[in-house]
Amino acid sequence: MVGKTIKKWWPIFVVPTLAAFIIGFLWPFIWGIYLSFCKFTTVQDVTFVGFSNYQKILLDNTFSHAFWLTVAFAFISSILINVLAFAIALALTKGFKGTNAFRTVFFMPNLIGGIVLGYIWQTLLNGLLSKWGQPLLALSAKNGFIGMLILLCWQQIGYMMIIYVAGLNNVSPDLIEAAQIDGATSRQILFKIKLPMIMPSVTICTFLTLTNGFKMFDQNLSLTGGDPAKQSQLLALNIYDTFYARSGPQWKGIGQAKAVVFFILVVAIALIQLKATSSKEVQQ
Amino acid sequence: MENNKKKSIIPTIILTILSLLWIYPIILILLNSLKKESAITTTGVFELPLGEIWNGFTNYVASVTQMDFLKSFWYSLVISVMSVVLILLCCSMCAWYIVRVNGVLSKILYYLFIFSMVVPFQMVMFTLAKTADTLKLNTPYNICIIYLGFGAGLAVFMFTGFVKGIPLEIEEAALIDGCNPLQVFFKILIPILKPTIISTAILQLMWVWNDYLLPTLVLDIKKFRTIPMAVQYFRGSFGHVQMGPMMASIMIDIIPIVIVYLVCQKYIIEGVVAGAVKG
Amino acid sequence: MKMKKVTAMGMAVLMAATMIPAVPAMADDAGKVYYLNFKPEQDEDWQNLAKEYTEETGTEVTVVTAASGQYETTLQSEMAKSDAPTLFQVNGPVGLKNWKDYCYDLKDSDIYSQLTSDSYSLKDGDAVDGIAYVIESYGLIVNKTLLEKAGYTLDDIKSFDDLKKVADDIQSKKDDLGIKGAFTSAGMDGSSDWRFKTHLANLPIYYEYKEDGIDDTDAIKGTYLDNYKNVFDLYITDSTCDGSELSAKTADDSRNEFVNGEAVFYQNGSWEYSELSKTFKDDELAMIPIYFGVDDANEGLATGTENYWCVNKNASEADVKATLDFMNWCVTSEAGTKSMAEDMGFTIPFKTAEAPSNVFVKQDAEYTEAGLTPVSWNFTTMPSEEWKNTLGSALTAYAAGSGSWDDVKSAFVDNWATEKALSE
Repeated sequence: MVGKTIKKWWPIFVVPTLAAFIIGFLWPFIWGIYLSFCKFTTVQDVTFVGFSNYQKILLDNTFSHAFWLTVAFAFISSILINVLAFAIALALTKGFKGTNAFRTVFFMPNLIGGIVLGYIWQTLLNGLLSKWGQPLLALSAKNGFIGMLILLCWQQIGYMMIIYVAGLNNVSPDLIEAAQIDGATSRQILFKIKLPMIMPSVTICTFLTLTNGFKMFDQNLSLTGGDPAKQSQLLALNIYDTFYARSGPQWKGIGQAKAVVFFILVVAIALIQLKATSSKEVQQ
Repeated sequence: MENNKKKSIIPTIILTILSLLWIYPIILILLNSLKKESAITTTGVFELPLGEIWNGFTNYVASVTQMDFLKSFWYSLVISVMSVVLILLCCSMCAWYIVRVNGVLSKILYYLFIFSMVVPFQMVMFTLAKTADTLKLNTPYNICIIYLGFGAGLAVFMFTGFVKGIPLEIEEAALIDGCNPLQVFFKILIPILKPTIISTAILQLMWVWNDYLLPTLVLDIKKFRTIPMAVQYFRGSFGHVQMGPMMASIMIDIIPIVIVYLVCQKYIIEGVVAGAVKG
Repeated sequence: MKMKKVTAMGMAVLMAATMIPAVPAMADDAGKVYYLNFKPEQDEDWQNLAKEYTEETGTEVTVVTAASGQYETTLQSEMAKSDAPTLFQVNGPVGLKNWKDYCYDLKDSDIYSQLTSDSYSLKDGDAVDGIAYVIESYGLIVNKTLLEKAGYTLDDIKSFDDLKKVADDIQSKKDDLGIKGAFTSAGMDGSSDWRFKTHLANLPIYYEYKEDGIDDTDAIKGTYLDNYKNVFDLYITDSTCDGSELSAKTADDSRNEFVNGEAVFYQNGSWEYSELSKTFKDDELAMIPIYFGVDDANEGLATGTENYWCVNKNASEADVKATLDFMNWCVTSEAGTKSMAEDMGFTIPFKTAEAPSNVFVKQDAEYTEAGLTPVSWNFTTMPSEEWKNTLGSALTAYAAGSGSWDDVKSAFVDNWATEKALSE
């Protein structure tokens, strides 16, 4: 009955969101796919060129470098963040003094934007590196990569930790008590009871960290800017760079084609990951 | 009991050290923002702002006056508040409709919204900027429509998750009493949805306030700059990198966030948890 | 009936959501100027000049300066908008290639008729696409007081070998002289690296073109790269800081070292005069050629331009007219020429130009009078921004010891061919 009554009210309930959605996503998305087959500088001079943009992607070795770097970055950062966030969450659910204060501190970096975070860490890391006589961020792709890992960990551990804390608090104490009575060690309790019970949290956290890792842009731009010689450039920045920093009519089409490839990659990873981890969840 | 207490000292110490490390980067920027420009060098960042290099709040004054930082602050605020309010209102209405009206349209819409959540921004950056430009959605006062469009995915997703769990009976009763759907929505749904509204608001607020690329490409840069854009401009729009004012501008960006966070901490953390569980 | 009402309300909401922004701005028949400025050093001066013009004529002039190193990015994103810049810049023939379809033909404009020489225009066939608005020189800026304190005069430096001898000597007794090094830090931060990846890199290109009698090429040979290495080595060894720190050194660091009397030599251009003259008197400063060890006896300062004004032909007729009027006013009116000469320190290639007070510019004229050949600016033929950036990264790594000179060579020679091929 509710459905029937509100059905004809769609102009009020659906149209505003839908209109904005079409303007802000759907139309640009479809148009973007079309433009990946074109050569253009602005929309006034679009010519259709078929698949040639996609062929040129393969010839551009900055793209393949950025591709593998991004894959490595997303997986390493995802593992690091989840393990550390889980460890801290475990410690914080033991009921120590000041748990709330710790939680407050760990979560805070999450609220700061990527551009600002990048400059904060650039200042700190370059200071440390020069103290240790190591090449600065702009000089060494290795240091830049590690720097981005540290930055992303610092930013996201707090967020994931909170999700894990909530998950752990939901594990019924009776279950643990029962296991203790049966003589289970604390290690067994962790791996046999707690971990399986919080699989939904693991799913969502891996999903979030992986996609965040893949899509990272602001932090990359401000921390290393891709230096040295694009060696620390992740995919999102590589696409932006191809699109806006390279002049010449052929680059925009190539950039758009790269974006399509990037989009397919992110969707594929998200689907595979959701399938893989959700199959491990315990039905509660 | 005694045993338990002893055990908890070591972890507490470790956690304390870790927390100090955690806030150290921000402290470092704070210290540097109080230094003279010439002292903010790669090798000198760890020195305390004492004696010769103490600069008081000069950098803060410079950053506020030179870059019109207060204006940027205002634009960021306007954009964030308007976008979040619009997203909450429109998306909760849309989500209610999608859940309650079974039909092909609802299904298609629902999957489109979910789909939009995974698409990276780079995919649409050029075409979105062009569309916004054609429709003149390029001021802080109407860019919220773009944010509604691009942010609708997550919001609709979170609201539908919640609405599904609300029993139909209350709404039916209200309709029989003669309320129209709008009245039902505002009088009944909104109060029930409050927790989700808060968590969605927080997630969207964090995104919009800190967003850099979208406003850079969409806003009319002749007139408007948000805070992240202003920070980026400190690197060189006056021919050189002004480290002092830049450090100060970073602090001006962080301080309000920290204050809001400390005040609304409970909601923010609950919001994140609710968002993750639903998401 | 009810249905209609609902639909009407819905439409109202929709209108509210999407149509508010479409309320047209005031009719703008008057024409507006939107200048996307390339030179960050002069941002403030341009803002002031624009304000003055608006007060005088009522025409709205907006000047936006891109953050350093972001001109191309900003230009690309702004040109795609409907309210695009009416006045923008390209750096020469290579830059023009990307934007020539957007350039208004300036053949019949007033400002074109004001040019002192046709060589300061940028042409595509018969069409005049760009007009240079500033002529600049660069070389080694010398702190004469410090040089004399070290026991030398400008006459002691007439070739690369002299320069190396003097610099090495100064470096060896830097502590006695109370300085940090002979040369200011060759900072490789984005605000400073163009001094080496572009300006210094011009010299090997200049000499190679000269030897081969060409003015552009698809494949550079790198005949004079050893000379390039010698000069760059000199910069990083006789320097105020260690090579590994250079990557984070900014243009400000380098200038501050010079201003604070911590170094004797500073590679930069005539545009630095307005900053340096705040500290130094005119007779304390000099600019000498960057002696390259090829034809030192005849080498003058590197003089040319990479700043061409282009007018966006897609702008409305009124906007184009307003823009042309503004440009003409800048280079002919008293206020305009005065600001460009004194505040911005520019030498402008127009008939009505005011004599600049800039000591480096005067020196350039003296060198030319004495029969030296100015080094032309061939970096306008460099294949792309990408090429420069790759070279810059290789130089940075080389200076820090983490990269080899072979990498620099490859970035110079191999990448030239690659990038030229890509831009076809």
